[in-house]
Amino acid sequence: MSDAILRASSAAPAPGATPRWLVNNEMGLCPCGCIGKRKKGSFVEKTLSGVSGVLRSAMFGDDVASMDGFLQRIDPRVKIVSLLGLLLVAAFVRNIPTLVAMYAGTLVLAVASSLPLGFFLKRVWFFIPIFTGIIVLPAMFSFITPGDIVLPLWTWHGHPVGLTAQGIEAAGLIVSRVATSVSLVVLLTLTTPWTKLLAGLRALFVPRIFILIIGMAYRYIFLLLNSVTDMYASRKARSVGNDQGEVKEGQRFVAATAGALFGKAHVLSDEVHMAMVSRGYRGDAKTISRFTVGAREVLFAAGCLAAAVVVLGGDRLLGR
Amino acid sequence: MHIPDGYLSPATCGVLTAAMVPAWWMAVRRVGRVVKSRFVPLLAIGAAFSFLVMMFNVPVPDGTTAHAVGGTIIAILLGPWAAVIAVSIALLIQALFFGDGGVLAFGANAFNMALVLPFVGYWVYKAVAGRVPLTSGRRALAAGIGGYVGINVAALCAAIEFGLQPTLFHAADGTPLYAPFHLAQTIPAMMFAHLTVAGLAEFAVTAGIVTYLQRANVPILRINHPDIPVTEAELEVRKKLGWGWAIVPIVVMIALSPLGLIAPGGAFGEDAPADLDLSKYHLSAVPEGLQRFSSFWSHTLLGDYGFASGDHPVIGYLISAVVGILIIGAVIVGIVALIRLFQTDRDSPSDGGPDDAERVVA
Repeated sequence: MSDAILRASSAAPAPGATPRWLVNNEMGLCPCGCIGKRKKGSFVEKTLSGVSGVLRSAMFGDDVASMDGFLQRIDPRVKIVSLLGLLLVAAFVRNIPTLVAMYAGTLVLAVASSLPLGFFLKRVWFFIPIFTGIIVLPAMFSFITPGDIVLPLWTWHGHPVGLTAQGIEAAGLIVSRVATSVSLVVLLTLTTPWTKLLAGLRALFVPRIFILIIGMAYRYIFLLLNSVTDMYASRKARSVGNDQGEVKEGQRFVAATAGALFGKAHVLSDEVHMAMVSRGYRGDAKTISRFTVGAREVLFAAGCLAAAVVVLGGDRLLGR
Repeated sequence: MHIPDGYLSPATCGVLTAAMVPAWWMAVRRVGRVVKSRFVPLLAIGAAFSFLVMMFNVPVPDGTTAHAVGGTIIAILLGPWAAVIAVSIALLIQALFFGDGGVLAFGANAFNMALVLPFVGYWVYKAVAGRVPLTSGRRALAAGIGGYVGINVAALCAAIEFGLQPTLFHAADGTPLYAPFHLAQTIPAMMFAHLTVAGLAEFAVTAGIVTYLQRANVPILRINHPDIPVTEAELEVRKKLGWGWAIVPIVVMIALSPLGLIAPGGAFGEDAPADLDLSKYHLSAVPEGLQRFSSFWSHTLLGDYGFASGDHPVIGYLISAVVGILIIGAVIVGIVALIRLFQTDRDSPSDGGPDDAERVVA
């Protein structure tokens, strides 16, 4: 231990200055860990930055949702049904131009809902469509997607190998479909405060008991995130340098943190249950719904329906 | 393993969502019956825990990190049906609020990670752990193996879902409409990643959490294992009263069965119609119904506990005994398996009540 301290202090630029390991920025990874520069960094810092990422995106989402814009003014139930309907339409479309047109439509909706365009583009394209574009590259070759070769590259046992029209088309199709789908979901979530989104789920025949559980779970995620931050921050405060090379010990720490978290969560669920019972909870959920469906909602739903018909009709005209 | 929208055809998503609806319905019924009004907060916090476990970065040997799904550990702690709901809700929150995993593909993601993963992991865990005490090392190892197998089977499901897309859904000229890779590519790609990195992370987290709880918070482990003893000593006491002793009289009876060979006469009330003493019952003929039904089935394998030819009566009798014991044993094992399958209370968390809470705090 004292060795580590000595080494760390000798690496520091000057006595009194902030040590280098403290100011180094960790690159944020997606929660899935499947793209981005796989920087080999401390699991503690990665988890901490993941936690702050969740908090940031939740807070920012609520800020945007409370702005005044087109989609923000639509009743959440109508909005959910309409946008998910368009999502379904995007899943059925078979031509790239149709999908590109739909994607352009989502950009118009984003601007109309006063979402900053640059932010919207970044939020959508990072990281799922870009990731999709990378993993789909090999599918353009004739050995994965056979078809009409448009760009022969080499021959293998007398057979030409190269990019096929079908492969390129398939890659374009999946990237544009993924981008359109993600845009529609981001539009929905960014323009609806989560409480309203939750209440709006009832329009999709989600039972009330589920809505209640989802709402509580969402609420307690943020409470328990505090515990996680505390445990990881205190771990970071106790350690010097990075934790690389200590895989076993690191895994033990993560498991113990998760186990302790489960213990806390379980005690919490008992306390919440007793608090609920003492306030008269008897096992059934009641919600106050004050949603209104006015002319604006009817117009919006009709517009989405018309868009769906036009998109599907146009797609049929394009063939396939 | 979170599948985004656009990778799977609407038909695939529809089928998998349809498969999840009865699972969700069953899970709500099973869990609701056992935990009653505690159901809502317990599952809400289970879902929050599931969401957070997916955020934990786990260090793995090459110096990088991976993250676990945690379906198996929730199945071990709260029961597999509770895990179905908790992981489903965590996935829904990820898809709706944080854009991780598709909305149309939610049913497919739930099928892989909230149904297949916890159940496979839990079954493997149960099979490996057997009835060893709660604090034994084998139980932690079983949890780790369950987590490893569970996440790999779930990844295999996802790989199959991807791999079927180009075969099932393509345009007339062969252009794949959704994910373009075939089974021959998706299965090796997914399985390589999960058999090595992701599986190890799941193993470490699942086994590590159980080890930690064995050391620091055994009452949590008791929630879903109410009748498993905590220590080896407790197990010894229970063994003496256990089922094993029922075997002794059965073995004695099996050993005595050749006695039938030296018993004279026939069994009481089992005479064939021809052997009946009709005058004893004041009858002049064998009743018509008895005559008809006593011989309507004659295709027995070992009629009269011997071979059809009547040779070697002793060997025939003994073979009949062995065959009979085996058939009855198989039927009993089958019935027990069926009862286990439909038995509710053992798979779901106990109601616990206030004293349960106290034990957890203590």
